[in-house]
Amino acid sequence: MKKRWKRVLIALPVVLVIGAGAYAWLNRTDPADGKAPSLTGAPPSSDPIARGEYLTRAADCIACHVTPGGKPFAGGLAFKLPFGTIYSSNITPDPDTGIGRYTDEEFVRAVREGIRRDGKHLYPAFPYTSYTELSRADVLAIKAYLFTLPKVRQPNRENDIGFPFNQRWAMGFWNAAFFRSHRFEPDANRSEAWNRGAYLAGALAHCGECHTPRNIGFAMSKGSLLAGETVNGWRAWNITSDATHGIGAWPDAALEQYLSTGHADGRGSAGGPMGEAVDHSLQYLDSSDVSALVTWLRTVPAKEGKDPVVVDAGARGLSASNELLPGADPSAGDMGRQLFAGACASCHQWNGPGRQTPQAGLAGTRAVNDPSGANVVGIILQGVSMRVRDQDVYMPAFAQTFNDAEVAALANYVVHHFGGKAGTVTPAEVAKRRAQ
Amino acid sequence: MTVLRINGEDHDVDVPPDMPLLWVLRDVIGLTGTKFGCGIAQCGACTVHLAGKPVRSCQLPVSVIGGNEITTIEAIGGTPEGKRVQDAWLALDVVQCGYCQSGQIMSAAALLAQTPQPTDADIDAAMSGNICRCGTYVRIREGIHQAASGRPLGLQVIVDGERP
Repeated sequence: MKKRWKRVLIALPVVLVIGAGAYAWLNRTDPADGKAPSLTGAPPSSDPIARGEYLTRAADCIACHVTPGGKPFAGGLAFKLPFGTIYSSNITPDPDTGIGRYTDEEFVRAVREGIRRDGKHLYPAFPYTSYTELSRADVLAIKAYLFTLPKVRQPNRENDIGFPFNQRWAMGFWNAAFFRSHRFEPDANRSEAWNRGAYLAGALAHCGECHTPRNIGFAMSKGSLLAGETVNGWRAWNITSDATHGIGAWPDAALEQYLSTGHADGRGSAGGPMGEAVDHSLQYLDSSDVSALVTWLRTVPAKEGKDPVVVDAGARGLSASNELLPGADPSAGDMGRQLFAGACASCHQWNGPGRQTPQAGLAGTRAVNDPSGANVVGIILQGVSMRVRDQDVYMPAFAQTFNDAEVAALANYVVHHFGGKAGTVTPAEVAKRRAQ
Repeated sequence: MTVLRINGEDHDVDVPPDMPLLWVLRDVIGLTGTKFGCGIAQCGACTVHLAGKPVRSCQLPVSVIGGNEITTIEAIGGTPEGKRVQDAWLALDVVQCGYCQSGQIMSAAALLAQTPQPTDADIDAAMSGNICRCGTYVRIREGIHQAASGRPLGLQVIVDGERP
C-alpha cells in the first residue's frame, strides 16, 4: 500500500510537469512579425490610415462589432451559441469602454493570439484563429485606422453563458487542442496572385470561419477546408473546387461578380450573413484583389461536403414556366404556390430570371436546390437589405406576414418549382429559425 | 443625365441612379397615372411595362433600365391588348375606388399579350400580385376573359359605347 502511494507521489509531479510543458508548448506564441503579400488595394506605400481602413474592411471587423442600428465598431452583437450567448466588444478608441488603452503589443496579442488586455482569453467567436496569420504591420494598420474613429462610450455587455463555458482560462486548453499561433507563409511555388488571394481569404476575410466544417470541438476541420457548414441556420455553401458540389464549375467572371456585387447571373445571390460580407467588406475590395482571391479559391481541394446540393438547371417547374405563368403543375392549389403567386412572382417570375433586378434571379441557385430549404427560409423571414455599388438591393421580410406553416409551404414550393426537389421544411423548423 | 424611353418618347432626366422609376414617372416627368401603393413591390399598384413585361416601378432603380422601352397606363390603350382590356373594364365597370386599377390593367394587358386565352388558373397566377382593397377581383377576372374573347360576359354597363 505504502509503496503504491509512493509511486503516485512520484508520478504526479512528473505528469504535472509534462502536462504543463505540453500546455505551454501548444500555447506558444509564434514570435514572427509575419510578412503579408502586398494587396493592390492597400500597398505598403499607401497612406497608413487608408491602408488600415482597407484592411479593416477586408477583415470585415464591422460585421460583428456593431448591432443593427447601433454605433459602428461599438460592439454588442449577440452570438447565440449552443452553450449560451456572448456579445461582441466595443473596438472604438474610447479608453474606458473601448480599446483606447491598448498598446500596440496588447492589440497585436488580442488579434493574433485571442488574449485581451487583462490577459484573459477571448472566445474564438472572435476569429483570432484566422487573424493569427496576419502580419504585425497589417494588424497595426488596422489599429491605426480604428484609433481614428469616434470614441463611443458603450460598456461591453456581459456574456450570458453558464459553467464551465464561462471559465475563460479553459480556452487555453481549447487553444492547446485546436489553435496554433502562426503567421501566413507564402508558397514560393505559387504565383504572386495566388499568395495574395490565400492571405486575403485566410487571414483577412476569414472565409473558413463560416464555410469550413466544424469538428466536435467547434474548431475548423483543416482537412475539409471550405467544404460547407451551417451557421445559425444558414448554409454557408461548399466553395471548394468541386465541380458538382462546390464552385468548380463557376467561370472566374461569375465568382468575381458574386464577390464584388453579391450576385452571379444564373448562379446565386448573396443574402443573410454572406450578404453582410458583401455589403460591409467584399464589394470594397480592389478588382485585382478579388481576382487574386478567386485564383486561390480555384485551388482549394474538391470535397463533396456534408448534405451536398446538386443544382438542377432544368428543373421541371422551371422549364414549364414563362415569366408570367407557372405552366401546368400538379401542385396547383397548393398553399405554397398561392403564396408565391401573390407575394413573390411579380419580382422573381415563375421561370426565375428575376425581373426587377438580376439579384432576384432564383433559377440555378443552390438555395432553391437544397431540399432543407435553409437559406430560402432565412431569406423569406429576413428579406434582404443591402447597398451595393450605390444601389439598394432589397426584398421585404415576410416574418411578420406569414406564419410558420405558410413559410414552410412557400419554401417547399420554391424548392419544388425551381429546384425540382421535395423540400423538407417543417413549421417547427421555421419557428426555430425565427428564434435564431 | 439619364435618357428614358417612355411611351414612345425620350425623356432626359437628371436623377440619382438609385431612384426608383416610380418617383421619376410621377415627380420628375409628371406621369401620375401610375400609383404609389406599398413601396415594397407587394401590392402591384405601381406596375408599368418594361420591354413589354410588367414590373413594379417602386422597386426598379432607373440605372437598370438602360434603353428598354417603358410603357405606362397613360399609353397602354395604344396597344391592342391594352385597348381591349380598357374597353372591357369600362363595359363591365370593373373599377370601384380605382386606386389599384392602373396596376391591374397593366398586369392584365401583359398577361393577354403573352397568353391570349388565359384560363382562370392563369389569371390567378399572373394577377395575384395585384391587390385590390375594394375586392373587385371577380370583375377583374371577368374583364380579362371578356378582353380575351371579345364576347360580352356578365352585366354590361356600356354596350356599343353607350350606357343603356
